Amino acid sequence: MATPVLEINDLHIAVEDKEILRGLSLTVKGGEVHAIMGPNGTGKTSLAQTLMGHPRYLVTGGSIRLDGQDVVAMRPDERARAGLFLAMQYPSEISGVTTANFLRAAINARREDGRQISLKEFRDQLDQVMNFLEMDPKFANRYLNEGFSGGEKKRNEILQMLMLKPRIAILDEIDSGLDIDAIKIVAKGVNSLKGPEFGALIITHYQRILDYVRPDFVHIMVDGLIVKSGGPELAEELDRKGYDWVRSELAEARRQA
Amino acid sequence: MAHTASVSSVDQLKEIIETRYDREPEWSLTRRIVAAENVFSLDWPHLERTPLKKRKLEDIPFWEANLDDAPPARLMVRDDDPNAVWLRFENNQLSHWEVGAALHQRGVIAAPLAESLTHPFVRAHLGELVVDTADKVSALTASLWRSGVFLYLPDNLDTPVMLTVEYHANAGVRALFIRNLICAGKGTQVTVSERLTTDEGLEKVLLSEETEIFVGDDAEVDYGAIQLCSLAVNSFIRRHGQIGTNGKLVWHIGEFGSNLAVSEQVSHLAQPGARTESVTVFFGAKQQHQDYTAKSLHHAPHTQSNMVARGVMKGKARSIFTGVTHIESGAKGSDGRQREQTLMLSDEARADAIPSLIIDERDVYAAHAASAGPVDKSWIFYLMSRGLSESEAVRLIVHGFLAPVIDSISRPLLRDAVWDAVERKIQE
Repeated sequence: MATPVLEINDLHIAVEDKEILRGLSLTVKGGEVHAIMGPNGTGKTSLAQTLMGHPRYLVTGGSIRLDGQDVVAMRPDERARAGLFLAMQYPSEISGVTTANFLRAAINARREDGRQISLKEFRDQLDQVMNFLEMDPKFANRYLNEGFSGGEKKRNEILQMLMLKPRIAILDEIDSGLDIDAIKIVAKGVNSLKGPEFGALIITHYQRILDYVRPDFVHIMVDGLIVKSGGPELAEELDRKGYDWVRSELAEARRQA
Repeated sequence: MAHTASVSSVDQLKEIIETRYDREPEWSLTRRIVAAENVFSLDWPHLERTPLKKRKLEDIPFWEANLDDAPPARLMVRDDDPNAVWLRFENNQLSHWEVGAALHQRGVIAAPLAESLTHPFVRAHLGELVVDTADKVSALTASLWRSGVFLYLPDNLDTPVMLTVEYHANAGVRALFIRNLICAGKGTQVTVSERLTTDEGLEKVLLSEETEIFVGDDAEVDYGAIQLCSLAVNSFIRRHGQIGTNGKLVWHIGEFGSNLAVSEQVSHLAQPGARTESVTVFFGAKQQHQDYTAKSLHHAPHTQSNMVARGVMKGKARSIFTGVTHIESGAKGSDGRQREQTLMLSDEARADAIPSLIIDERDVYAAHAASAGPVDKSWIFYLMSRGLSESEAVRLIVHGFLAPVIDSISRPLLRDAVWDAVERKIQE
């Protein structure tokens, strides 16, 4: 399959008439890891949810394209089948639905009727991935995220990502609330997919995870806009200087304008 | 065969009864005649949230014989399944009757109730738990019932009995009146599987079932029933059980069919140590209206009840589930619990879960929980974000919601039948 390209161009979104993104542009290609950093309440999660098609967010301007196809017109399930994946900050707890049953249904949703995954093939893959992520195999038969700790939920998101093999993955604060060992495992999962057919957009508040998943590009987002982009060194600088540094730089730039 | 003229007076109805049931013993015929008088004086059941007036049930020609001209089935005694009983009624007529050889030889009676009227237990106890005079439906049933089973297990029968009973109505039938009477003697065990079905394409039908279950000391009755009638049916189902010392009555109920489904299930925990468990699964679609009442009545000390109901409503369906746990004064050390949950798949569906605990004794444990709510939209988004279509996402959520309850049904055939019905309702 060709190298994926996700193009976000001059994106405006609103929630209940309140503008959240104000003309955001970003292109993520296969083989690239992008990180978006920014303070709380700046629209990072809104961007992630909008990319996946959450009905709460209304696209009021601009475009999102995956391999040239209009993503905005697609339902969330169509986006997923086209290769988008969102590891959510707060995954739902769904009672009565086991992780295994759900994942198998999700894999089969990507396949034609006659080519459904066999139970054995599925179980083998699942065992392998769970082993790789150092997960207790019992989790497969537990209800989706129900009673999971924060760390278990995040690991479960990565498990789903590895099973579904997306082309572009958006990871929304996948590192929040994780200790360093858990971050390493999550990073191992992301790194295992790296290649020309996989692109990642890591949304994070802290630089910590970027020590383990090396980004090619770092973007700083403030008030619904990307205000600064650079290489991995930008993350380190931000970590040292804090968000106030970005804010004062912005204020300085405005004064000069 | 049918009386085509409308029946507008007690005398006409009496005349029909006297002709149609003329071979019955006098006590039974007399009871039918008395009930016929009540048909015209009593009103339809009064249900607070289910007004029946506009449904015009009185337009249904309930008196029509709706009998097959075929002769009733004869008893077949079978050696290959010695502990099983199977009766089937089609259009109020007995069409199949099998009794396992082992039971037949050991004094078990498993017969159509209409052919068991000379049995002293029938005369003494029919109508004891479900009275003839509650309302118009009970009066109609008492006067016109034809199909139904009498199962009598003598005390200390050490073989567990499996009873399967099926009721089916074909096109042309306008009314079904069913009465079942079950007596599980001391220390006996019986599993009942009842199935109510109809053809499609019926005219408006009135179906009434009244079932009375006497669970003896140390006896265990597991009563499973699934209702899959067409949407032309207005069903009224009353099932009452009375449980003796250390006896146990388990209910497994699946309610899926009928345009109007009214049911009442009552467990009388009559003697110390009596227990009851009930699981109800219901699923309404289109314009179905379902009104269920379940009661656990603790009359004696150290009795236990646990009532669980889960329902799914879609389309413009409406459900009411009223659970009553009553622990009477003197029923010390009793434990009564209930939990009702309804999931709504559409904005136009409506569900009420009404739990009530009436506690007249201090030294008891009682608990209830009830909820009715829509499918969580964030769940749908989460599942869709992994590639499932909206309908698949809903299907998974419904499965997940019902699984803990349906999978608690220990009997594979009934469990599968309930899952099949759920699957069909999801697609509907």
